[in-house]
Amino acid sequence: MIRLNDLKISYRIGSRTIDAVDGVTLTIPDNCVVGIAGESGSGKSTLMKAIYGDIQSPMYISRGSIDYGLKGVDGKPVTAGNVRKEWFKSISYVPQSSMNSLNPVIKIREQFIDFPGTDSNKKRVLEKARAYIGKLGLPPEAMDSYPHQLSGGMRQRMMIALATFFQPELIIADEPTTALDVVVQKDILMLLMELQEEMGNTILVVSHDMGVHYQVTHKMLIMYAGRVVEYGDTDSVFADPQHPYTRMLIDSLPTIGDDSMRGVLASQAGASGDRAYRVEPNLIEVKPGHFVAQSEGASV
Amino acid sequence: MGVIAFVAKRFGLYLAVLFIGLTITFMLPRLMPINPVDGYIGQIQSRANGTLTPEAIEEMRANLEVLYGLKGDIFTQYLSYLKRVVIDFDFGPSFTYYPAEVSTMITTALPWTLGLLLTATIIAWLLGNMVGLVAGYFHKKRAASILEFVGILLYPIPYYIMAVTVLLLLAYIFPIFPLSPTFPVGEITWPKVGMIIYNSLLPAITLVLAGFGWNILSMKALAVATTEEPYVVYARLKGASNWTRMTRYVFRNALLPQVTALALSLGMIFNGALLTEIIFSYPGIGLIMRTAATGGDYNVLYGAITLSILAVATAGLVIDLIYPLLDPRIRHK
Repeated sequence: MIRLNDLKISYRIGSRTIDAVDGVTLTIPDNCVVGIAGESGSGKSTLMKAIYGDIQSPMYISRGSIDYGLKGVDGKPVTAGNVRKEWFKSISYVPQSSMNSLNPVIKIREQFIDFPGTDSNKKRVLEKARAYIGKLGLPPEAMDSYPHQLSGGMRQRMMIALATFFQPELIIADEPTTALDVVVQKDILMLLMELQEEMGNTILVVSHDMGVHYQVTHKMLIMYAGRVVEYGDTDSVFADPQHPYTRMLIDSLPTIGDDSMRGVLASQAGASGDRAYRVEPNLIEVKPGHFVAQSEGASV
Repeated sequence: MGVIAFVAKRFGLYLAVLFIGLTITFMLPRLMPINPVDGYIGQIQSRANGTLTPEAIEEMRANLEVLYGLKGDIFTQYLSYLKRVVIDFDFGPSFTYYPAEVSTMITTALPWTLGLLLTATIIAWLLGNMVGLVAGYFHKKRAASILEFVGILLYPIPYYIMAVTVLLLLAYIFPIFPLSPTFPVGEITWPKVGMIIYNSLLPAITLVLAGFGWNILSMKALAVATTEEPYVVYARLKGASNWTRMTRYVFRNALLPQVTALALSLGMIFNGALLTEIIFSYPGIGLIMRTAATGGDYNVLYGAITLSILAVATAGLVIDLIYPLLDPRIRHK
């Protein structure tokens, strides 16, 4: 169980600071896929970076804390201080740009063993990895190829293999399917979900695509301007969105045969400048497990 | 099969480049309104105070034309020129040091030039790339900008100023190295090797200093850009060490353009030889070229230019052949 306590993350730019995540309090249960949605600049990626422990200047945690509730591979609890040592051991990451996240001039098998990982016997790791990628629908020869010799879907499968191979407790996937076509997208998401069911771990998926969230996530987190707008079970959020911003996001999902959507989409396309919500940091539990922020929605 | 076809095609291109180069070298002097035989006869005539008979002049002209390959029409001359250069590597005798053969002069001087310039260029490249890589990889750290400063400081200094300054400093003010080097002749023995290295050190230092700065700046710029690549960021998030990321990720990817630069600068060695060898009186091709240019020694110039063409074309051939070994995305097709 991951707990974020009044987390505030800021960027220091010259003498100014920008609060990208501003007072997020949240509990993420174990064995759960959490989808994170929100527009660009809403603080999704910053929040993911902070949870992953990739905190580098000019980014810093200005208030609050993260409780991982995880045990590292050496049995000690994971804290914000030692989370970096757990990278690709008990916590891993699926990058957004699978197309160029692999080193183009080195064979893929080398990229399975060029970081500490959980096993220092690199030969054994490679043998296991070769067997493992077979389970993920990749031919074993893919290990001996260079990244450019694989298709986009195969490369993203490889990224998922890398992220899941060490059986991490937590996986952060930052828009894992953005660069892929719709058919491959679905395959990759299904694969990720199957693996999650097998491993029983927690996956945080950032995506702009509400369809993706509806299909694969158990819980939804909607962010706006650095704050949580709504958080609850995906079914509940989609069935009964409480916040006008959530409603707008869900309404923007196109439905087959619904002509009225066109008008809605068009009016929303240019709406981001006109739309303004003032979101308060404290959440109200409207239903068991379904939280919504107090806010005044105003269309100016 | 693809590889063989590629190599054959590339080698064909190489031969074509050499052929065109040789043809231009042959044509250019013949487009000038000066006939070297007339000039030479004129010189002799004036030395002999005009006492030569027309028959003697005619005989001398015929002899000189045979000697310098100027007999017959231009096409016959061209064929015999190609035959001499390509098959016999024979550029005729030197005008100034007659009857010394140009090819012998070149083969004696070549090891000196190659030994000094190849070594210095490679050392400058290796050092510059290492410093540039560290400066680029750690570009956010203050200490790294000091490394870059070395590059910025060295790069704009013209070579002749650098060379003369170093010569003044290390040979005249602090006489660590000889002001005018002496090189042993004859059989090479171990003590002689030591002496050659000691005498070559000063020109080598100037060459390394001059080549070093550019390599630092170039590698630094490439490394900075590469550290931002998604695969380097991903490697960091995998927990790969700084060393792994710097060497296997940033260096391997930033290396490719630098290899091209190295090969091209190796091809340009003879240009660099000129100044270095004149300033340090180093007995290489550069010194021979300079004497030939001031003395109007066409045959020697031909030989040296042909050698330059050969070097540049060969460097290009070598890069094209080794590139796929460094970058798997490039395949021989």
